[in-house]
Amino acid sequence: MIAIAGLRKHFGHVEAVRDVTFGAADGTVTGLLGHNGAGKTTTLRMLSGLMRPDAGSISVDGSDVIADPIGAQRSMGLLPDSRGLYPRLTPREHIRYFGELHGMSAGAIRERSGVLLKRLGLEPIADRRVAGFSQGERTKVALARALVHGPRNIILDEPTNGLDVMSTRAMRGLIRGLRQDGCCVVFSSHIMQEVSALCDRIVVIAQGEVVADGTPDDLRALTGQADLEDAFVALSSLEAEEVE
Amino acid sequence: MTTLRHVWAIFRKEVLDGSRDRRSISSLVFSALISPILFGLMFTVAAERGKSADEIALPVDGAQYAPALVEWLGQQSGVTVVPAPADAEKAVSSRDEDVVLIIDQDFAKNMGRAVPAQVKLVSDVTRDSARPKVTRVRNLVAAYSSQTSGLRLIARGVAPSVASAVRIEEVEVSSSQQRLATQLSILPLLLVIAALTGSMQLAIDSTAGERERGSLEPLLLNPVPRGALAAGKWLAASLFGCCAVLFSMLLTINVMRRVPWHDLGIRFRVSDAELMSLLALILPLALFLSAIVMFASTFARSFKEAQSYLGMLMLLPMLPGLVSTMYPLAGRPWMAPIPVLGQYALAADVLGGKPPGVAFYLLAGMSVVACAIGLVTLTARMLKREAIVFGR
Repeated sequence: MIAIAGLRKHFGHVEAVRDVTFGAADGTVTGLLGHNGAGKTTTLRMLSGLMRPDAGSISVDGSDVIADPIGAQRSMGLLPDSRGLYPRLTPREHIRYFGELHGMSAGAIRERSGVLLKRLGLEPIADRRVAGFSQGERTKVALARALVHGPRNIILDEPTNGLDVMSTRAMRGLIRGLRQDGCCVVFSSHIMQEVSALCDRIVVIAQGEVVADGTPDDLRALTGQADLEDAFVALSSLEAEEVE
Repeated sequence: MTTLRHVWAIFRKEVLDGSRDRRSISSLVFSALISPILFGLMFTVAAERGKSADEIALPVDGAQYAPALVEWLGQQSGVTVVPAPADAEKAVSSRDEDVVLIIDQDFAKNMGRAVPAQVKLVSDVTRDSARPKVTRVRNLVAAYSSQTSGLRLIARGVAPSVASAVRIEEVEVSSSQQRLATQLSILPLLLVIAALTGSMQLAIDSTAGERERGSLEPLLLNPVPRGALAAGKWLAASLFGCCAVLFSMLLTINVMRRVPWHDLGIRFRVSDAELMSLLALILPLALFLSAIVMFASTFARSFKEAQSYLGMLMLLPMLPGLVSTMYPLAGRPWMAPIPVLGQYALAADVLGGKPPGVAFYLLAGMSVVACAIGLVTLTARMLKREAIVFGR
């Protein structure tokens, strides 16, 4: 369970995040929707505990991320904006490394990496070095190592970015599986179909502020648009006009 | 204890990653080979030169004008008189000959009249390798001259000692051991270079490389204290640095055993144990050097940027080494706690045959490791800065 309230962050004169408040419940998929530069990645970075907000509060399963980022990181699995793999290590070694950093035993890591490699379809390439992997394979490896410790809160920054149709489908299947397991899943995207296909709740961010928050039906009703994409455009541009 | 497990996990991953990196491995091998190769070459060349002055073939032009001199020269040990080339000056300037002795045609006549008889010594002063030979020939002629003039004085009823108002007796204070030390003083410098180049690739790859690949952010998402992270990376780089020093030392000792010390006029008395005690100085220093490299590369966003910083940084630990080859640091153990300088000063004492006490080793080692830990702590603090974590 994730609760974010009144988040602010500026870089120099740019206010990247001005006021972000939303919650994400267990067993649901929450989509963070916004244009490029709307403040999604900055919000997720603050949620991950690596970036300190100027103001606001973040709690994950009741523990304060700002006061104790390391404690909160134990119950989170994050797929950050930069996948950043080690070209000379294999997928299995990536998973093991992160498992060890989570303090897992060798046996637990072996068992868990077997499950993850199978679930992500990485088994055939599990012992090949990742240099030369495709974008989709890289994303899967990054995801597998982020999930090694079986986190209850899963945060994915544009998880389907650069993936082909097959990989995108596999990713969606995985996200649904995580929801079924009762996890709290938050993912960011700028692709409407992505969000509408998966999300129980949608949080629309524009110019660093939450402009709408609700089920897909709520958003349609709010904007009077039958199509979700039109609703998204209406919400984002509304905000833009207000700013001007 | 979980922190120790973290350090171990990071250390193991970096060593595995580094051992698969061709750049890391080749620089490790290269750094281990510099010292033994350079040393082997240096001493072999020096030995050859020393030898060349002992056994000389001396070209003499106009031998028929001074048969007594030529015969005397031929009787000196290791000297063989050979006919000179037609154009002596050309032969020397074209390096066919190191030195040529030309006897004046009036030599015998002047000898008989007891006026200075002339010989010409053709040599090239710019040629270092010919110098021992030229000096030997000059000394031979001078010895013949003083011997002959001594005989003349005796014939006139004068004691030869009257003719020499001042006599120089050279007292060489430096022991042969110390002379060797000046030759060996380059060894600590070479070991420092080995430590630097051995650890550098891995230190850069695990900091600036991590930022360049964008793998730092995912790494920091793990619940690991930054200190453990920096410590694991530091120890991995240090392992590579220490391996480079160790291999370099063992190979160098092997080479030293084969050097013809006798031809250098030096009795080689630095024992293997004493040379090994250099390791007690340089290995802790390797921990410090890898910490410096790691700290500096953490500022860099890419491998290339890190290398440009380190190009300048590399000179710093070498500077005292270079200076010490000109101004010996021996006998200044108070320098011990100063990183790098202390190691050079103590190493100079070890090589000079005056090994400092264990306390100095401890002092130097502890001071250098403390500085290293300070740098690692600073690196850990840098890993908390958003500009470092996200700045790509």
